[in-house]
Amino acid sequence: MITFIRPRLRKPLGIALAGTVFAAAWALRGGDAWQLSVAMEVTVLVSAVTTYVRAGGDNDDGALAGSRADERQKLLSLRSRALGWNFAMVAAFIGVTIGVAVKATWWWPFLAIFAVAGFGQLLGWSTYTTAEEDPADDASLQHEARSPAS
Amino acid sequence: MRNRVREQRTQREMSQAELAAALGVSRQTVISIEGGRYLPSLPLAFTIARFFGLTVDKMFDPDEEEAGT
Repeated sequence: MITFIRPRLRKPLGIALAGTVFAAAWALRGGDAWQLSVAMEVTVLVSAVTTYVRAGGDNDDGALAGSRADERQKLLSLRSRALGWNFAMVAAFIGVTIGVAVKATWWWPFLAIFAVAGFGQLLGWSTYTTAEEDPADDASLQHEARSPAS
Repeated sequence: MRNRVREQRTQREMSQAELAAALGVSRQTVISIEGGRYLPSLPLAFTIARFFGLTVDKMFDPDEEEAGT
């Protein structure tokens, strides 16, 4: 379905949709939370419009915001997200360590973040690596192959 | 790794934006490749070489250092 949406609109619409759902969650809390919900929705809409404007730029940021990134720009995005997850894992590890040391009750969300990041990394590892048991197709030549140094 | 993208492009009197459009990449990526800051993937390297009518090893030389790097 996403292919029917113009590339420049995809990220802004995603931000607007996710933000609206989150703002609605606040509104469902009842009480005075509706005020926060309205403020959040306004912020989300401003953010979506800002992303749409950024997507028109002739630069790496514009290409990523406009869902038209080429291989180098996708690699930049991937590396940036990997760096972000590394920071999150380090922060979560520090948080859970301090939480345990001071006998705090708030240590488990840090552990949850650490566990999710670790699980994601293991999932990626198992998905993208080549299985070791795959036989080398030149296995029969291994005994014959010698390095020049040997 | 040295490449001949800038040399071939200027010989054909093309702008970086025109080459980027022909290769299906961004102008920033052409600039990065020409400057030696980005090594293209194998498919893109073949696309570049074919566009200029050269082989990949003529277009990209691993034995030569990029000037200024």
